[in-house]
Amino acid sequence: GLRRCLISMDIHHIEEAFQEIKKTIQAKDTFQNVTILSTSETLHSIKPLDVCCMTKNLLAFYVDKVFKDHRELNPQILRKISSIANSFLYMQKALQQCQEQMQCHCRDEATNATRIIHDNYDQLEVRSAAIKSLGELDVFLAWIDKNHQGTSA
Amino acid sequence: RAVLCISGGLPKPTNITFLSINMRNILQWSPPEGLQGAEVTYTVQYFIYGQKKWLNKSECRNINRTCCDLSVETSDYEHQYYAKVKAIWETNCSKWVETGRFYPFLETQIGPPGIALSTDEKSISIVLTAPEKWKRNPEDSSVSMQQIYSNLKYNVSIYNTKSNKTWSQCVTNHTLVLGWLEPDTLYCVHVLSLAPGPPRLAQPSEKQCVRTLKDQTSALK
Amino acid sequence: DGVTVLPAPQNLSVQSTNMKHLLTWSPVTVPGEIIYYFVEYQGEYESLYMSHIWIPSSWCSPTEGPECDITDDITATVPYKLRVRATLGSQTSAWSTLQHPFNRNSTTLTPPVMEVTKDGFHLVIKLEDLGPQFEFLVAYWRREPGAKEHVKVVRSRGIPVHLETMEPGAAYCVKVQTFVKAIRRHSPFSQAECVKVQGETLPL
Repeated sequence: GLRRCLISMDIHHIEEAFQEIKKTIQAKDTFQNVTILSTSETLHSIKPLDVCCMTKNLLAFYVDKVFKDHRELNPQILRKISSIANSFLYMQKALQQCQEQMQCHCRDEATNATRIIHDNYDQLEVRSAAIKSLGELDVFLAWIDKNHQGTSA
Repeated sequence: RAVLCISGGLPKPTNITFLSINMRNILQWSPPEGLQGAEVTYTVQYFIYGQKKWLNKSECRNINRTCCDLSVETSDYEHQYYAKVKAIWETNCSKWVETGRFYPFLETQIGPPGIALSTDEKSISIVLTAPEKWKRNPEDSSVSMQQIYSNLKYNVSIYNTKSNKTWSQCVTNHTLVLGWLEPDTLYCVHVLSLAPGPPRLAQPSEKQCVRTLKDQTSALK
Repeated sequence: DGVTVLPAPQNLSVQSTNMKHLLTWSPVTVPGEIIYYFVEYQGEYESLYMSHIWIPSSWCSPTEGPECDITDDITATVPYKLRVRATLGSQTSAWSTLQHPFNRNSTTLTPPVMEVTKDGFHLVIKLEDLGPQFEFLVAYWRREPGAKEHVKVVRSRGIPVHLETMEPGAAYCVKVQTFVKAIRRHSPFSQAECVKVQGETLPL
């Protein structure tokens, strides 16, 4: 069967970078009644076999969409977002190897969950959607931590 | 029934925050400044991130104390929450003051494990019991924090009072036997629980000390 | 922009050891004047997705230089472009850009400093604190022919860690290397250090 693609993720410093901007970013998110990732049906229902595909899709969601749509003027926050964005870029490369070895198979469950997230995003004005998604990075990082544990050295 | 009051007539409470240990989530705040002596009461509401509206906490309506246990309302630790409080005095009340987004899964402090020490002449056996998740009723079945954080680890520190040396060990299992110790020596132990994820506050255990027994062979001479 | 009169800083280079990265350059000198430098960086993400924006360095915008600790800026294992310019009042030089983008996976990893001690029959090791990105692979063995080598991963930093319970009269040796998961590389092993129960530490 498909060997799960667990990649050695050193996300400790990404979590620390997010911790430093979390309060400021989340305070800018005024739509408390809407979430992008946090609906229980999406992330928490992902099966182990779909972890790789979901990770790949969510990294792409942040790299291709969220970080680009967000305009940041504060240099401190900009540096932290840059740190997270470049780390996600590196993680995408790490996942690339799994794709080449066909261990990142995308089943309907992962594709549907990804589409829900993009739909949630598209229902908001782009800047609000970007700031909300940034504010939910802790949800994504906690999910990665939980699902990619098998490989820590 | 909500008592009508002039909103903004009072200064807001301050330092509102969640104090969370083993998923026991207590909202706490400081009284508004400049109202010493006034009989101020408080009303609390909470919000589940992504839901539609603020919800009342009936046990925390018009209360005198400056804390409110929201453990039941925030027991789904994979969700995120907000809470807010306002101060009321006679016909005046403050505006609401709100917490930041509270994420129990990442923010709760992991309490120390239970520690049982037993000893003989040259060894100490340390048995750890994983900290327990808060539960609503004492008779509810216990849930260990290990079930929530599967890779919970413990940092065990051992202090030899005779050599004045300290060393530590990081363990995942719950029993640790320290052999080849010095007889008739007082050793002190304290333990810290370590959970994955971003850095979080941790509560070290109380220091517990035990003395190894006297060496029986030398006692017989 | 001020009128460009000042020469641009030259000879930019990065020295990187144990994930500490130092950008250096040749100073621009104007007799009797203090020159300030501004350092900026651009990660691969900024190049690919953010129209090549530059980000002011955490600690060197400005600095009196001619060096800048860019460790807190280089926080991902991707190529980073770096540039520096000099300023004197309203005068600014042109930007000088590092010839090749810097990737922290090129950092030099050195064997860690360790202190091997014992508390009675307990072999204890204390390792230098190199920061949260470092793990230590500690190899230890009983010094006798055919002895099996044990390996323990230690993440505690700067505090004594218990390695092994030793048997009376035996000598045990320890060597250690660092592992940095973020760049997936090890350092060379340190020199081995041996300890004899009830004896003194013996160099190998």
